[in-house]
Amino acid sequence: MSHSTVPRSGTEADTTATTPVASDGATGARRARPPGEPSLRHRLRRDRVLLLMTLPAVVLVLLFNYIPILGNVVAFQDYDPYVSDNGIVSMLHSPWVGLENFQRIFEDSAFWGAVRNTLVLFVLQLVLYFPVPIALALLINSVVRPRVRAISQAVLYLPHFFSWVLVIAVFQQLFGGAGLLSQLLRQHGYDGLDVMTDPATFKFLVTAQSVWKDAGWGIIVFLAALASVSPDLYEAAAMDGAGRWRRMWHVTLPALRPVIALLLVLRVGDALTVGFEQILLQRDAVGPGAAEVLDTFVWWNGVRNQDFGYAAAAGLVKGVVSLGLVLAANKVAHLMGEQGVYRK
Amino acid sequence: MTPNAASASSAPSRRSFLASTAVATAAVAGGMPLLAACGGSDSGSRDGTTSGKDAKKLLPAYVAGNVVTPDIAARNGSAVGFTGKLDLATLKTSVPKKLGKGGKVSIMSPFWGSPPKADNAYYTAMNDLIGVDVVWQNQDGNTYDQKLGAVLASSDVPDVVVVPGWNMTGKIPSAIIAKFADLGPYLSGDAVKQYPNLAAIPTDAWQRSLFGGKLRGLPMPSSYVTSIVPFYRKDVFDKEGYQVPTSADEFHALAKEITNAKAKRWACLDMKWTAFNMFGVLSGDEKSLGWNLVDGKLVNRIETQEYLEALEWTRKLFAEELVHPDAKLGKSQATDPAPKFVAGEFLIYNQDISQWYGQAAAQATQNPDFRIWGMDIPGHAGGNPTLWAKNPAGIFAFVNKKASESVIRDVLAVANVTAAPYGTKEYMLTNYGVEGTHYTVKDGLPVKTDQGNIDVLNAFVMVASPAATIAHPDLPEVAKGQVEWQQRMGAFTRKSPFYGMQITEPARWTNLANDFEQLEDDIVRGRKKIGDMQQAVSDWKSKGGDQLRDWYRKLLDDNGSAAN
Amino acid sequence: MTATTGRPASAAVPASGDEPGHGPGHGSGRGSGLGAGRGPAHRPGRWAAPPRPVWEEEPSRAGLAGKGLVLALACLGILFPLWIVLVTSLSSRKTIDQAGGLVMVPKGITFVAYRELLGGGQVTRAAVISVLITLVGTLFSMAVSVLCAYGLSRTGSLGHRWILMTLLATMFFSAGLIPTYLLVQSLGLTDTYLALILPSAISVFNILVLRGFFMGISPELIDSARIDGAGDLRILWQIVMPLSRAVLAVITLFYAVGYWSAWFNASLYLNDQDMMPLQNVMIQLVQKQEAPVGLGQAIKTGELSGLAVQMAVMVLALLPVAVLSPFVQKHFRKGMLTGAVKG
Repeated sequence: MSHSTVPRSGTEADTTATTPVASDGATGARRARPPGEPSLRHRLRRDRVLLLMTLPAVVLVLLFNYIPILGNVVAFQDYDPYVSDNGIVSMLHSPWVGLENFQRIFEDSAFWGAVRNTLVLFVLQLVLYFPVPIALALLINSVVRPRVRAISQAVLYLPHFFSWVLVIAVFQQLFGGAGLLSQLLRQHGYDGLDVMTDPATFKFLVTAQSVWKDAGWGIIVFLAALASVSPDLYEAAAMDGAGRWRRMWHVTLPALRPVIALLLVLRVGDALTVGFEQILLQRDAVGPGAAEVLDTFVWWNGVRNQDFGYAAAAGLVKGVVSLGLVLAANKVAHLMGEQGVYRK
Repeated sequence: MTPNAASASSAPSRRSFLASTAVATAAVAGGMPLLAACGGSDSGSRDGTTSGKDAKKLLPAYVAGNVVTPDIAARNGSAVGFTGKLDLATLKTSVPKKLGKGGKVSIMSPFWGSPPKADNAYYTAMNDLIGVDVVWQNQDGNTYDQKLGAVLASSDVPDVVVVPGWNMTGKIPSAIIAKFADLGPYLSGDAVKQYPNLAAIPTDAWQRSLFGGKLRGLPMPSSYVTSIVPFYRKDVFDKEGYQVPTSADEFHALAKEITNAKAKRWACLDMKWTAFNMFGVLSGDEKSLGWNLVDGKLVNRIETQEYLEALEWTRKLFAEELVHPDAKLGKSQATDPAPKFVAGEFLIYNQDISQWYGQAAAQATQNPDFRIWGMDIPGHAGGNPTLWAKNPAGIFAFVNKKASESVIRDVLAVANVTAAPYGTKEYMLTNYGVEGTHYTVKDGLPVKTDQGNIDVLNAFVMVASPAATIAHPDLPEVAKGQVEWQQRMGAFTRKSPFYGMQITEPARWTNLANDFEQLEDDIVRGRKKIGDMQQAVSDWKSKGGDQLRDWYRKLLDDNGSAAN
Repeated sequence: MTATTGRPASAAVPASGDEPGHGPGHGSGRGSGLGAGRGPAHRPGRWAAPPRPVWEEEPSRAGLAGKGLVLALACLGILFPLWIVLVTSLSSRKTIDQAGGLVMVPKGITFVAYRELLGGGQVTRAAVISVLITLVGTLFSMAVSVLCAYGLSRTGSLGHRWILMTLLATMFFSAGLIPTYLLVQSLGLTDTYLALILPSAISVFNILVLRGFFMGISPELIDSARIDGAGDLRILWQIVMPLSRAVLAVITLFYAVGYWSAWFNASLYLNDQDMMPLQNVMIQLVQKQEAPVGLGQAIKTGELSGLAVQMAVMVLALLPVAVLSPFVQKHFRKGMLTGAVKG
């Protein structure tokens, strides 16, 4: 979930860039040990500095990524955060209720509403957001003047580094009920338009915000893939009489195919995570009916209603389904002949 | 202490666990809460209310502290009003000796509006007078509920936490009982006489401060008349010739007349609360006030026709775009209405009665033409409205259970100063700040300065207050308006059966009504349908609402009713 | 490759068609890439198009115009809102009233909103807090990440595989909001700045990128240093890090932007309003339209424009990012993508 790994940047760049690195590690590690491999003690002495260097990171990961997994036991409890001053002590003192929380969740229409909103948003983003960076990358790639190219890239990358708070504030100033658009409309005798509080169009708004913020950054991966296309291929195609569009169809797009397929598969694997911070910031403006997604559902029930067991159960359901999706997505990636996040 | 791991469907199992500790502590104090049973093994659990003999043992003695005779006596549940001149030179001293021992006390409190700097002259002067170093942790009052639960669950609860009654949702009531100190040893009976200003707080406010069989809260007494006043811009109304509406339909027609979006003017903000009052919907202030006896049967406000009608009426205002677009953003996003109200972007809004004075004082020097006034709540069909009493104390300050005796004494020293009655130096400092810095004296009247409007807001008045008082020597006509409004509205105010009681619902049903407020907001803004509310109400009944009704019924049979 | 053009024709990187996955193993390509990074060849006429290959047809006028238009619109869509925010923040109350809200054309610049905000109040404090958290957090994150990346950069070292797997696995699951919250609370981190740094201190992805880069550095260089008796820390400090400036710059930016933009952890773990970083203050001031501490009266009475103050807060929040990221930008592809994706 995005909240716990804040400084991670750019999911797109994330996954692709990681690919070779990660798989290299895996294969490297699997390399057969040479016959003259030194003893464990010797290796320990030889590598102890290296091991010590990894220690802080390993401790942090164990502490904040692994240990909290155990905290999911509250999903099976009627957890009372006020029994003691310490979350862990309260856990020991809260009664077990088995699967009751899960039963409640599956009977809760608000939960299913959140599931529906999550999936709708996912599909919308797939259809409306996903193609934008590809188109932009093709466009930038066809610009030959270096200065124009550098400047437009600089501008397009910029919003990626803005916080969601800022992005939403900007949108509110432009499209809110008292914003620029409404202001202009009213000055010219039309009714004002308030896009920020309209639940009917909220999911499009969220998608538009994502496009504004991150589509420019998304092109970086595609540009890298395009840069690796040998000019010889274009030349050969041109010699064969292929025009501009045919060259794009037969040379450029096939070069992007693996990247597109990989990103697509990975996005599907991450389908249940759709912009937690972004939506939480706007939840009040349109109401939970349109804005509640699984992550905000967990937040609302846990943090606001102190129904921790219930919220944790919902979070666990999401986590398990997500893990399944990621693994399945990787499997599909492998079947398609691509690398996933990891290698078989 | 092994958790009860027995069965999957045992909701009350938590209570059986708690019973073991709760019984022990209750027995020590001898003030076993008088409980209404709700099913099996409930003895000693946290829910129920405390009344009768058990309450008597806990309540502080009442010692009236008449300092100044009010110009307008309390009537129909109103506050007492002071409208005459106050001789600032002969203010009485109600706290002759500093009671504070110089300790440090952290207080978390909701705050409405923009808070002042932490080291401002007002806080410093108050701390000097009390003899305690109070450190404020002000939180946005509009989203206080999102913070409160988390703070109470953490290991570092501030020394004092202020909790308004309307934030006691979900598991907060059980947290109050688990996390806050019993003030009984310091205040019950004659013990309170060490703190004369606290002894002068009316008993019905203390009655409301009994939580889980112990005296835990320091109350802010209030009038039982609804605190939600529909404010309007009297200066603009007079100029444009608008008439104050006398029915729901008139209100609607007036809103249409006022609204002119092209000129950036709308009629009002969200008027849901006023609509509830016009249509005679039971109070939503506290869960227990939402119940009424109709033909011998308990009915909840959400089950009434009036409730739906009020929502529908409010929905129409939104749907016809008579409401300022800011109000659509929902409750956490349009906090301080002042700038746009002053700019005339909307002419009517409803808020707590204290804003009547707050707004008037803030504009008094800069915008002399600006005039805010409260309109009488009309009955929806014209004529007199049916209003429901809110409780005579709705905001409480609690002391952390882990606080040492000296911290508790320091907190009580703070409360003894903030509860000083009108006409004392302490009252003047608490409500007006420092002369010369926060107010100047003109013709014998205090006039708030800009600095005063910034610094002297909320904060100290949240800890404990004197009997409901309205006194604004700088703006006597506002004080008069406020008290008279309360008295006129008080005449139409009825008390529902659980009026005046501090009731803790059983834990298993506390989350039942969590989402109704959100649903109300969704419906009036057109995001959900009235039908969704009817569905939610029928879900509420089947998921425990009907059982809750039985529980309240038993409580009523055991404790009697305050209804009149 | 020279990142400025990025044209296939001018790619200096080993030809495409490399087997994917072996990238980081190739040291030579990296070295040359870095060399180019330090002293980019100056070429005259960067506005001019490079010569077109003979086989490529003359671009059509309409095509060029269309491309230009789309690109210009995209850039305008990003810059125009920022322009309005900036201009409104610099406008006087009178100008804002005349415009009926947001101002598009600057008329009489005034810094009054900034003067009030930076006069030592709530926003000043929040900005200082944000800067400090960003500095300390980024330094901590970089130290931990660089150490870890280097520690894992030698395949076949003891425990290398297990540690890597432990890190990688976290990309597949998240413990969830509630358990993480309970842990942070149990550790007693609530109401401390550690709660804003520790739980989100490292990103496994960033470590992997750093590691990929470190692994690509010529082994001969490191071996000769080792023969000279240099320990691992010294090798890291004196050889590896200076050779990895590009990727270090990029990862530093990622971490810094993460800390600068974060607000949720603060809203969850901090109770003291005086401790809130700038983003959270911005939520209060801009989204909820509250008046800044101490300025409420001036805004209520209309001496100061609330809108200008809101815009000024937004400018303060975007300023560091907007100023810094273009400097690092030239490294994005050189440092990261040529390194990690392709090699």
